[in-house]
Order: sequence, then structure tokens, then C-alpha cells
Amino acid sequence: MTSGLIFGLTGIAVFAIGLFGALVMVEPLRRVLALKLCSVGAGFLLVVGAWREPPEAPDPVPHALVITGIVVMISATAVALALIRRLHMLERDTDD
Amino acid sequence: MTELPTIDWPTAVVFAPLAGAILAFAWPRRAAALGLASVLVTAGAVAALALQVLAEGAVLTRLGNWGAPLGIDLRADGLSTVLLAMTVGVGAFVSLGALDSYAPARADDRTRRYFWPLWLLLLTGLNGAFLSTDVFNLYVMLEVIALAAVGLTVLGGGRAAVRAGLDYMYASILGALLFLMGVGFVYLELGRLDFAGLIAAEPAPALTAALALMIAGLLLKTALFPLHFWLPGAHANATAPASALLSGLVVKVSLYVFLRLTQYMPLPDELLVTLIGALGAGAILWGGIQALRAERLKLLVAWSTVVQIGLIFVAFARAGQVGLAESWKAVALLILAHAVAKAGMFLAAGRIKDEVGHDRIADLDRSPIRPTLAQFTFALAAISLIGLPPSLGFAGKWVLMEGAMAAGYWHWVGVTMIGTLFSVAYFSRVLASFLRFDRMRSPVAEHQGWALADAAPLILALSALGLGLAAAPILAFMEIGYPFGATP
Amino acid sequence: MVEPLLLFDALLGLAIAALAVAVLTVHDRFAMIVLFIVFGLMSALAWVRLSAPDVALAEAAIGTGLTGALLLTTLHHIRAAPAAPVPVPGGVVVANLGLCALIFGGLAFAFLLTPLQAPGLAPAVAQNMAASGVGHPVTAVLLNFRAYDTLMEVVVLLAAIVAVWMVERGTVQAPAPVLGEIYRGFSRLALPAIVVIGSYLLWVGAQAPGGAFQGGAVLAAVGLLLLLGRLYRPQPAHRPFARAGFVLGTAVFAGVALLVAGGGRLPFEYPAAHAKTLILLIEGMVTISIAVTLAALFHGREPEAVPVSEKSE
Repeated sequence: MTSGLIFGLTGIAVFAIGLFGALVMVEPLRRVLALKLCSVGAGFLLVVGAWREPPEAPDPVPHALVITGIVVMISATAVALALIRRLHMLERDTDD
Repeated sequence: MTELPTIDWPTAVVFAPLAGAILAFAWPRRAAALGLASVLVTAGAVAALALQVLAEGAVLTRLGNWGAPLGIDLRADGLSTVLLAMTVGVGAFVSLGALDSYAPARADDRTRRYFWPLWLLLLTGLNGAFLSTDVFNLYVMLEVIALAAVGLTVLGGGRAAVRAGLDYMYASILGALLFLMGVGFVYLELGRLDFAGLIAAEPAPALTAALALMIAGLLLKTALFPLHFWLPGAHANATAPASALLSGLVVKVSLYVFLRLTQYMPLPDELLVTLIGALGAGAILWGGIQALRAERLKLLVAWSTVVQIGLIFVAFARAGQVGLAESWKAVALLILAHAVAKAGMFLAAGRIKDEVGHDRIADLDRSPIRPTLAQFTFALAAISLIGLPPSLGFAGKWVLMEGAMAAGYWHWVGVTMIGTLFSVAYFSRVLASFLRFDRMRSPVAEHQGWALADAAPLILALSALGLGLAAAPILAFMEIGYPFGATP
Repeated sequence: MVEPLLLFDALLGLAIAALAVAVLTVHDRFAMIVLFIVFGLMSALAWVRLSAPDVALAEAAIGTGLTGALLLTTLHHIRAAPAAPVPVPGGVVVANLGLCALIFGGLAFAFLLTPLQAPGLAPAVAQNMAASGVGHPVTAVLLNFRAYDTLMEVVVLLAAIVAVWMVERGTVQAPAPVLGEIYRGFSRLALPAIVVIGSYLLWVGAQAPGGAFQGGAVLAAVGLLLLLGRLYRPQPAHRPFARAGFVLGTAVFAGVALLVAGGGRLPFEYPAAHAKTLILLIEGMVTISIAVTLAALFHGREPEAVPVSEKSE
């Protein structure tokens, strides 16, 4: 049992939970959060791939990839949220 | 960048549209001129790259001179170059069509200003993906494409478009994240991300997991039945030039990545190849039925994309696992044929809708305005999509059938035939109404609705037809640099 | 191999998974976002345990902090909408639950069969560190070895702000939440400190954990406070400057990558003597773009002179 093993399984679990949410959730904000869970799960897997039993230094390449992934994900989240706000506004206007 | 010989063409192919996007966004008033110029510069760069590939074979650029796997390489072989040429060629004509579709009389200022930066960012992503040799870089490119494509989907701003755009966004991001999870497993097993590492790899459980995740993500992004649910709404509700780009080009990039990955990381089982072919058959049947039921022209054209994607996956499976090394040619030809014809068809459908004022199929023949040139264009594009000679679609289907018959896989031949019958049936619904004149009491304004804007779709549709004659040289060019040989 | 720490890891892992479930199941949407923020911070903590401080910093600042702010402001706008529009049939839920359990099983199986701690690219990075121009390996990967990826990541951010400005057009929205008097006072005090912290993170990134993205995120927080405290109101006349800010990072990054080419050098191949300066220049410009873009993503719509709400639909 190592930290890598524990958090690797955590990441896969979080990814699967996020996938479930992305497939069945209908509420817009929750679907966005489900996708974000998937991306954190994938981040876990990459960070675990970089991990070495201390005191050995970790592999910096996956760390860089996850940072890139985080910035990409907030970009996608921002666009999805803008669409949600816009759709809400259009639907509210026609409901009146 | 000062002397001609020092220009690195693969880099130029990615950076030219990026520069255009930056300029078009920073100077919105000049967006159209800057955007068009940048598309033309990109086309020039792709042409130069094609000449270089023809002369020297595959072109490799080690960005930063580190070399994979530490750095990232760009690689243009025959297949990449053909797809780049397809992208920039179709893109250039759609750009011309966009000049009319988003002209001040038809679209608001905003639509015009935002189309160009989004389309050029999309072009950057597409070109980058076709040149990529690194799975994580592919993930980033897929995200560039996804965000730009969603932006283009909702360009019209109507409620249906925004709702479809949001569904598209969820599907697209989920697909990209499945891909990213696969990238994680690749690094876990191999400790590298470049294609050369994938080719050299021994089979391992982590790689099987990676392949499964990546394929699931790509199939979702390319809308293979039953993961197609997001496509018809998104493609039918976007404005015509955006639909042409989405249907013609965007779904092709995930197909291309699928093709690369399955050649470099072979599918472990014959059953899986058959399953993918079966999903393709499902797409042909379900998409065909939906296209027959569609009430609107653009929705019919969008469902025909679902059918064509299915056909491409049948082409992939046509000769089973042993034939995968050859099947890519049929797949590549069909990708090319569909891109050119579908872009032309969507632009033509947009022209018909613009001129007639609606796109309800049942009422198209009741209109006093006959956009005859656009209708003719639509018919020409339909010929290629149905797969009649001498079109490119025919060439692709021919290679498909040949492989399936040689391998004795008659079921794939049968599925292809059924698909062809379906496309004849649903396109006839439209074409028949073009030919009927008895439904109009008042004199038909035969010559209304011709415009210079008909030129772009017409050229695309004619190309789809005529390129069939050039299928042999195209196939020969695609094999330059051994796309799926031993050396990556 | 200290047992108590492993126990801590196991508990942390369980807590993270439980929080993920809670985010999806809690009824109240505000609670959902708060739980997500806790989840993000716990994940960042786990990544610190996996000796990834840069990633933890980025996740805490961008993935959790700014994402949380984006979610909260969106919830504020759509709070009138019903929480759950249409219930999903139970059969669909069960089928998907089974599917995802199967996927978890398969992926966990593949993961357990994979030996961890493969050499990876760490030796190659260590070997080339001297030539990279920076002292911190993660920064070297981000801005030199895989600089092309990072450029494209900034392009993704640019695509996002273009798309967001395009999507949210011409309609007067519900006013954004405003900070109260006390917080407004706090933000006036806090702003200079945050600017200093952000700049420090950027500067230190060359040698130690930190860098353009973390620094940019902290500076974006400045923008958020300015917007929330109404200390800055976006005006239509400011749009050219905003656009310049959005494209600055991409333009400088791409420009440097191209201009260093020639004379036998390839794109992205910084001349050894200037590598450090060029990377710092890129980082600085990218930081500004990230800060401006993230703040603008939070603000959402493009500031427009004339609302044209009638034209849509």
C-alpha cells in the first residue's frame, strides 16, 4: 500500500462518479460540476503517474500536463456557464 | 521568417490562422478582411507543405529542437497533408460563402465580428490536430476545436441554437475528458506520450484501458450512433457557414485521430472491429430513418451526416482486424468526400433557406422564388453523398466494397447498399420538390435568387464530383511517408 | 513508509470520493457548490501529499477558487430556474450506475496491474535542465520542453473569452452580487497585498513552485474583487484594451516562438544566452493575459454601448 496506489484509486473513483453525473444529471450546473469531477479524476491519475516514493523527486512532465488541463477546464467551464446563463435568459424571456 | 527557405511549413500551417484569429479579434472592424487574408495565407502554407511532402516525403519539425518524447514534434505525412488541404480548401470556400451569409443585410454586426476569430481558432486547432504526434497535445487541440466549434454553433444566438450548443458542449467536453483519462493511462504505462512510444509499446492492461477510454471519447465527439444525440440539433440550428464547418470538418478530426490511434495501438479483438462496424450500420439505419422523417432541410442534411459517419465506420471495419492496415484508405477517401460534399450541401441549403425564407421541405415547391443554382448545387452534392460515379463518394464506396468483397464480408456490402438506398430515398424527398412547378399558382420567379454567393457551394459540389477522377493520385499521395508503416 | 501518513491518505481519499458523491446528490445548489469547493481543496491537499505543489496551487487557485466564483455568480443569475427540471427515470439511473461501476472496476483493475514509478521523462528533463534557462523543472516543461502545448492552452483560454463574449450578448442581466461595505473596505486593503503575492508567484516560478498560471490566477482575484466591489465597472470604451489584454499572451508567446527561428534554429528553440529572459518575458505577458481573461470570464458579457436584445431569437 502506497500513497500512489490510494490516490490512484481515488482518482479513478472520482472519474467514474463524474462520468455517472455527466450521463444522468439534468440540472445544468450539476452537469458542469460532473465534468469537472472527471477532469479532477484524470488529474489524479497523471499526478500519481508522476509520483515517486519520497525522497525521490517526482516526474515534472505530468505536473505540467495537469496544470495545462486545469486551465483548459476552467475555459470550458466558463463557456458552458455562459451558455447556461444565456439559455436561462432566453427561456425566461419567452416564458413571460 | 525573413528568407523564404527558412520557413518551417508545418509551423506556418498552425501559426498563420492563429495570427489571423488574434488580428481579427483585436480589430473587429477589419475582421472579415483580416480573416479571409489569413485563410488564404494558410492555404498557401499548406500548398507549400504539400509540395515539400511530395518532394521529400514526410516532413518532421522538432519544436524547440528537443525531439520527442521530451519535446513535441509536428509531422506531416501524406495523410495529414491531404486532410490539411481538405480543411483549408473547404475552409476557404466556406469563408467566401460566409462573406455573403454574414453580409450586413443578413446578419447583425456581432455575428460578423465573431465568426472570423472563432473560425480561425477552429482552423488553428484542426491544423494542429492533423500535424500532432503527441497524445496530450491532441487533447489540447481537441479542446481548442471544441470551444471554437461551440462558439460557431451558437453564433445565430437563437434559443434552439443555444440549447443545441450546450448539449454539444457537454458531449464535446466529456469526450475530451475521456480522452484525457486515456492519456493518463498511456503515461502511467509508457512514461511518454508520443506516437513512436505507442507504436513500440507491448500490449498491457493500462494500454487497453487507455485505448478504450480514448475510443469512447472520440466516438462521442465524432457522433457515431448511439452517441450521435447531440449532432442533429447542433448542426441543424447553426447558421449555414458554421454548419458547413461543423459537419464538413469538425467531426472529421476525431475520426482522423481514431484512425491514427487504432493503427498505432491495434484493437485487441476482431469482435471489437465488428462491433464498431455494427454501430456504423446502426447509424446508417437510424440516421436514414430520421432523415426520411425530417421536416426541415437543414435537419435532413444533419441526419445525413450521422449516416455518413456510420458509413465511414463500416469502411473501417470492412475487412476485419487483418484488413485494418488497408481499410484506412477507404476511410480517408470517404472522409474527404463527405467533407467537400457536405460543406457544399450545407452552404447550398443555407442559400435556399435565405432565398425562400424557410427550409420546410414540404413547402419548398410552393415558393414563388426558385433559387435554382443553389438547388442544382444541392443535387450535385447529393450525387457525391449517395456515391454515384464519378464522384469522390463513389471512389470511397468502391474501395470499401472491394475490400469487403475480397475479405468475403458480404454483410458489410449489404449494409453499404442499404445505406445507398436510404440516401437516394431521403435526398429524393428534397430533389423531387425542386423539380415540381405545378404547386405554384402565380408565375414562378425563375431567375430570382441567383447570386455570386452561389459560387462557393457550387465549386465545392463540383469538386466533390470531379475529385473522384483524381482518386488514384490522391490515394498515392496519402501513402507518402507511410502513414501506417513502421516509422512514425 | 510511515503508517499514520498512509492512514491519513486513505481517509483523505475516502473523503474526496465521498465529497464527489455529495456534490452530485446534495439537493441545494448553493450547498453543491460549497461542497465542490471543499472537494477541490481536499484534492489539492492530496496532490501536496503526492509531492505536486505546483499542481495543488493551480487546482486550488484556478480549478477551485475561480471555478467556484464562476459557479456562484452563474447560480446567482439563474437562481429563478427550478432546481431539477425533469426527473430522470429510475431505470436509466440504475443502468448508468451499473455502467459506471463497471468502468470503475475495469479501470481500477488495469491500474492495479500497472507497476507504478516507471522512469517516465524525469531523467530526460533532469538532463536538459541546464539548457532550459529556468531552474524549476515544471516551469521548464511548461515554457520550454512542451511550450507548444502551453501556447495552445493560452489559445484555449482566448477561445473561451471570444466564445463567452459572443454568447452573452445585448441583454441587461440581473445585477451581479455586490460586496458589502465591510468587504469593500477589506478589498481595498487586500488588493495591494494580492498583487504582491501574484507577482511573487510569477517571479518565483522560475526556481520554485509557482509560475504564470498560479500568478495569473491570483492577479485575476484582484480583478474579481475590483468587479465585485464596484471599484471598476467595465465600459464599452474599454473593450479595445480588454481585447488587447486577452490576446497579449498568445501574441507574444507565438511571436517569440517564431522569431527565435531562423539561422538554423527551429521555432520555440530559444537561443541559450537569452532563454531565461525570453521565458520571463513570455511568462509575464501570459500572466497578464491569464489575469485579464479569467477576470473577464467571471464578468461574463461584453460591455456594450447599445443593448440589442430585440435582435436575438
